[in-house]
Amino acid sequence: MSHWLRFLRHYGPVPRNDNMYDETIQRSAHRQGIAPIEFEHPYQHLIADSFGRVTADPVSVILTGTAGDGKTHLCRQVWKALKGSEDDWASDNPYLTIRFNYPKDRTTWPESEEPSLYRSVKIHFIRDLSGWAPQQGADWDVDKEVLLQKFCQTLFNPNAEEIFLIAANDGQLVESFRRLKDTEEVRRARQVFEDLLVEDQQEQPGVRLKFFNLSRASSAELFDRAIEKFLAHPGWDELKQRVPGESDVFGLNCPIRRNYELLCTPLVQARLRALLELCDYNGLHVPVRQILLLLTNAVLGHPDVGQHLMLPSDVPKVIAAGTASRACLYNNIFGANLSDIRRQSVTIFDFLERFQIGYETSNRIDNLLIFGEDDENLGVYFDTLIEKDKFCGADDRFYAAKHEYIEGTSEDEEKDNEFLRMLVAQRRGLFFKIPKEAEFELNLWELTVFRFAGEYLDEVVDVLRRGAVVKRPLVSRLVKGLNRVFTGMLINSDRELYLATSGNYSQAKVSRILVERVSVEPSKGEKVILRFDPASGRVLLSVFFAPDNSVDFNLTLIRYEFLSRIAMEGALPASFSKECYEDLLAFKSRLIAAYSKRQAQEEAPPSLTISLTLLSLTKQGNPDPRAVEIVP
Amino acid sequence: MWVDEAIWGHRLYDEQLPWFVFLEFLNVFTHEDDKGRAFDEQGKPNELKYRAAHRLYLRNILFNNPHLPEIRLSYPSDSNRWDEWMRRMKSAATGLNHPEFGFLKDHFHSFDDFCEVASLVRSTSLEVNSNKRWTSKFVFPYGRDCLYEDLDNNASTNDRRFFGRTGELLYLMLCRTHCKRELMAALKGRLAKADKTWNSVIRCLQPTSDEDMSNERANAFLPYANHPCFDDLADDWLATLRLNIPGFDVFPHLVNLAGLHLLKYQLSVSRQLLGLSTPLNLLCEMVAPKKTLVREVSCDLYQSNNLLPAQAVETFITNIEQSDDWQRAIAESGAFEKCRRILKEKARWGEDYDGSSDAGELISRLRQDAMKRHRQHVANIHRNYGREIGLVSKRGTVKLRYAPTDALLKTLLFANVEKRIELHQFLARLHFRYGLVFGDKEAEQVLSKDEFDKKAFQGNSRRLEQRLGSLGLLRRLSDGCAYVVNPHHAEV
Repeated sequence: MSHWLRFLRHYGPVPRNDNMYDETIQRSAHRQGIAPIEFEHPYQHLIADSFGRVTADPVSVILTGTAGDGKTHLCRQVWKALKGSEDDWASDNPYLTIRFNYPKDRTTWPESEEPSLYRSVKIHFIRDLSGWAPQQGADWDVDKEVLLQKFCQTLFNPNAEEIFLIAANDGQLVESFRRLKDTEEVRRARQVFEDLLVEDQQEQPGVRLKFFNLSRASSAELFDRAIEKFLAHPGWDELKQRVPGESDVFGLNCPIRRNYELLCTPLVQARLRALLELCDYNGLHVPVRQILLLLTNAVLGHPDVGQHLMLPSDVPKVIAAGTASRACLYNNIFGANLSDIRRQSVTIFDFLERFQIGYETSNRIDNLLIFGEDDENLGVYFDTLIEKDKFCGADDRFYAAKHEYIEGTSEDEEKDNEFLRMLVAQRRGLFFKIPKEAEFELNLWELTVFRFAGEYLDEVVDVLRRGAVVKRPLVSRLVKGLNRVFTGMLINSDRELYLATSGNYSQAKVSRILVERVSVEPSKGEKVILRFDPASGRVLLSVFFAPDNSVDFNLTLIRYEFLSRIAMEGALPASFSKECYEDLLAFKSRLIAAYSKRQAQEEAPPSLTISLTLLSLTKQGNPDPRAVEIVP
Repeated sequence: MWVDEAIWGHRLYDEQLPWFVFLEFLNVFTHEDDKGRAFDEQGKPNELKYRAAHRLYLRNILFNNPHLPEIRLSYPSDSNRWDEWMRRMKSAATGLNHPEFGFLKDHFHSFDDFCEVASLVRSTSLEVNSNKRWTSKFVFPYGRDCLYEDLDNNASTNDRRFFGRTGELLYLMLCRTHCKRELMAALKGRLAKADKTWNSVIRCLQPTSDEDMSNERANAFLPYANHPCFDDLADDWLATLRLNIPGFDVFPHLVNLAGLHLLKYQLSVSRQLLGLSTPLNLLCEMVAPKKTLVREVSCDLYQSNNLLPAQAVETFITNIEQSDDWQRAIAESGAFEKCRRILKEKARWGEDYDGSSDAGELISRLRQDAMKRHRQHVANIHRNYGREIGLVSKRGTVKLRYAPTDALLKTLLFANVEKRIELHQFLARLHFRYGLVFGDKEAEQVLSKDEFDKKAFQGNSRRLEQRLGSLGLLRRLSDGCAYVVNPHHAEV
């Protein structure tokens, strides 16, 4: 029996004590003699360098982030690098200390090993602040409180001889320090944490602290690293080498094997990665633990077995029962093997659900699924994508239900619903099966709520990351969308950005008074461009009023979708319109403020008249500004 | 009769909705400020006297003038248009002795320009699409040249139909707060800083000599020399005025706050009179797709709060009945007349009483009359103001309850968060200052065990969090940590 599959389950959506995740995995790996899935965290280098020879004057470090971001794991890497004992680490004590030698001269690391050149620095490890701090409502132990007070002091003392490494969820971090006795240093420290957290910074001048928020790491990058190690784990090879029979574990008919092989295909990986990357661009961060959970569930998931994850002993039963296809990877990716309540409580499935894959569709896709079999255009696709897929594609049940559905002989609603459920599964499958070449023809992204997501990734994000320029029509479309929101009219202009107000209320729905038109093409310092900000990993839409006067707008996927749809259709999808609309009005306010700043620098002679430009539209939707002059 | 007035002042008036309260307030404030005594009763409480402008040229042009589009269509040349329009206005304009609109030609190059501007100004006016009489429509208060008082149908005098003195009450409240000096500076600073363009445009729609002012307006009365509600209101206005909110966007928030605090004032004073020692609670539902326990409790609380003012009126009369004066009077000879005198003095009532000469009957008639009068207007403040400011709503159900709108949430956030605070601190603050309850911590404090359901209220605060997030006012970090952020925080 496979120890590996048993062990792998620990990474899946099983009930567990979250605070002890890393410890549990380590211990169980040790016990079973299996190497855990380990890969280098994108921040690992930076964090290791904070304590290594790159630094002659180390400062305290706080590792924060959400549950499952790998805080404990990274702490352990530092502990190992500082030659801390493994036994100490294996203890349950959330607080450990270690001494390490750093140069007395705090500017450079000396060539010589001469002891007198070094000072011994005590490093306090609080590897789990929440496990160490008192429960809510309870009082601090005196010792602990003294220690944290000391920590706050060291932050502001340039000659401090002790440093700290603290790992904590951001909420717990703020909460723990709020409960400390109010001293000058504690107050300052609290403010520093809050600023660093909310404003996404790593350090502040004059504060001896490096602050790593692991929740800012790119989910897509974590995914790349995780899936590589996940698929390359020697456990899989061992399974294969046993040369199992068809219906054995990891035999030809074994759903675990089929899922594993599907996951190895570049197309599935690319689509999955795209979803995670889109999460990043919507400001949703997926922690490492959730990525491993996703992968594990994708391979082991089955709705009918214990805890909905297959054990080796389940495999023959599942095959015998003919329900292997219910373990299909495409459904497992969305947690469809889990109960509704369980699924909704898992972060990654909550995020993926927002794409509504399986529920969103287009006529073309549904025609393919329902009538594609005999269609001369779609037949090829039906054949390759549905018919030939013996594992997740059409089986006898599907054909029968389809026939019933089309012929409509039964009045049984339940049967129709059954077919509709199958369609959901098939659409999910299509999302991972439609090859790159057919993406456009079959409107792949209409399988998600974000119809422009593919374009966003390929023609905006990738183009900008390569340092190239986004195609003109795409920028024009965004500008048109902006103009429609800014004026509240179905304006068709896309060469200039129209800033308009209503006179009394900057958030008014309709704005008829034209304040300014900003040229999209570079002209006299004005321009509207899309650019990539490597520091934050964001796509920005920047409006320039002058070379030194510009306003940035974080062009998230959802905003891109919103603007594109307004530009193309004029109508707004109600589900996400409110939030984007508010954001865009706030953006307009900032633009008008920047415009006013530029005007304040112009030394115009005081005007004797009041000039207003009133905006209306021609029948074609073109702007028809009209100047009105008033003599006071 | 002087019962509602004795309890809450002269007077709270339900038909004067918060925007009109604010406009009336601005009239008073501007007048008093011109006299150099803004927010200063000069040691003589309740002797406020002021005049308000009428601006009937402006109002005839904007609100009593349906001719513009038709004239533009039917008359081709600019001079024909002007002539025809002025001819019509000469007879149609109301409330002006010698209507003469020729001054407009000095300000506009063409009749078309004039029409465009008039339509633009109208589009930002208040009550412009309601079916209120034209004399009860108001230009947005861009500046002092936009301020005037409500008038009757003949445009001759303020009939107290929509300017029912609640704005005067608001003014008096602010005169009696600890931070009136700071508030005056902030308010004047804000008004002075506002973009003058629009006020100038409005001035162009009035002749320079239009100085038609009302008679002296007097008799506003606010019974309390100070009250925590006044201070809370002033604190909120001050906090909001100090923010970096662009242009005139600050006004709707001031209006919401005025409405909220007037409502709270009415309920708090009622509770004081009733001797209730527990604080006021306004338990809010963040509208959920399905009926929840929170909605039920909120409906109940709304109902019981809604009855408080009427109970206060009852108690007020009962207090008279139980007073030593009254008890002595009914025991003496000539009881009826003595009692009648007491009621004349305490409730300004009894002159027209024609029932039997029995003190018991007399006071029970007062009780009837007072309740009847109370129900007509004062009793509706809680509901009408609540709905108008977005606190009270029927959304998703048939019963009224507290279910704040996005706009009100914004107002509350701006008044209570200087830069940013943690969400649960924000909730605690809203509870402490207004009795607003959203989350489980606060609900647990105010509800009995069988009414309280932790999950339901956690869901409620989660929905609040989502709303704030979608308004761009919340920064969620990770589980258990979210900051409420004020984007208009003024960097000092």
